[in-house]
Amino acid sequence: MLNLGLIEYARAMDVQRKVHREVTCGNSCDTLIVCEHPPVITFGRASKKSSLLVSEKAIRERGIEFCLTDRGGDVTYHGPGQAVFYPVFDLKGLKKDLHFFLRLLEESVIRPLRENFGLNAYRRQGMTGVWVGPYKVGFIGIGVRNWVTYHGISLNISVDIDPFSLIRPCGLDLKVGTMSNFFKDEISFKKICDMIVENIKQLVCEKGSFDEFLREPED
Amino acid sequence: MSTVKVYLPELGEGIAKATISYWYAEEGATVVEGSDLVEVSTDKAVFNVPAPCSGTLTQVVAHEGEVVGVGAVLAMVEEDTVSDSEEEEV
Repeated sequence: MLNLGLIEYARAMDVQRKVHREVTCGNSCDTLIVCEHPPVITFGRASKKSSLLVSEKAIRERGIEFCLTDRGGDVTYHGPGQAVFYPVFDLKGLKKDLHFFLRLLEESVIRPLRENFGLNAYRRQGMTGVWVGPYKVGFIGIGVRNWVTYHGISLNISVDIDPFSLIRPCGLDLKVGTMSNFFKDEISFKKICDMIVENIKQLVCEKGSFDEFLREPED
Repeated sequence: MSTVKVYLPELGEGIAKATISYWYAEEGATVVEGSDLVEVSTDKAVFNVPAPCSGTLTQVVAHEGEVVGVGAVLAMVEEDTVSDSEEEEV
């Protein structure tokens, strides 16, 4: 695990590319990068112009960076208080299946939210991500090269969700939520990150139980 | 010289198609085995299809923006071959 703390998006991408090269060459084992980003809106490969509700200039004037990126998916927002997980994993040693890996990432967040926080976290059929009630709290977009993954999943923990109003997250009209909305008391960012890291490790070890990741959505 | 077809590989359970999102090389370009040749996208993932051999990208069959099915031919690569005389020198 590599914890980068609060790091600019572009710098984190540089680290991720370097780690990806090392994992691809077999010089490093699978590595999970964990970080937060200063405010940034990122455009994935599937992004549409209509997903941006204000101009790029207006975004920058609010102190939010704007980056084009090479992950799957549409537009999203990252900011302090949102945990971002970039698993650089060789799927050749796990399962060469993008669907499986997307479901694994969802599950890594759903389990702790349900089991440790009592939240009704779930996935929606035909969609990718994690919801609590009507709110989407987990966002996913990945890339794969030589069957080694990059990019990953972000979870809103205590992030200011107002900047999501500048975009159509994932190209959809979504209600976005953050975990702190569901609790009166402050929740520990580090504790949640640690739980998700543990769940990712555990799920990777449980790679045989594929069916569980594909269970019917519960919304 | 032989022509090698580049196919859209199996990407995972239930993934029947993908969109061609980016060609790393143009027709006529030299490509190296294992290097990125074309990027394809599904809803939430991008996948880089590598060149199957070293040689020349002679034909792009599926163009950017096209949706293609698993197993579809994406391109043709004319494989570099070592001539008999060159082999003898090696």
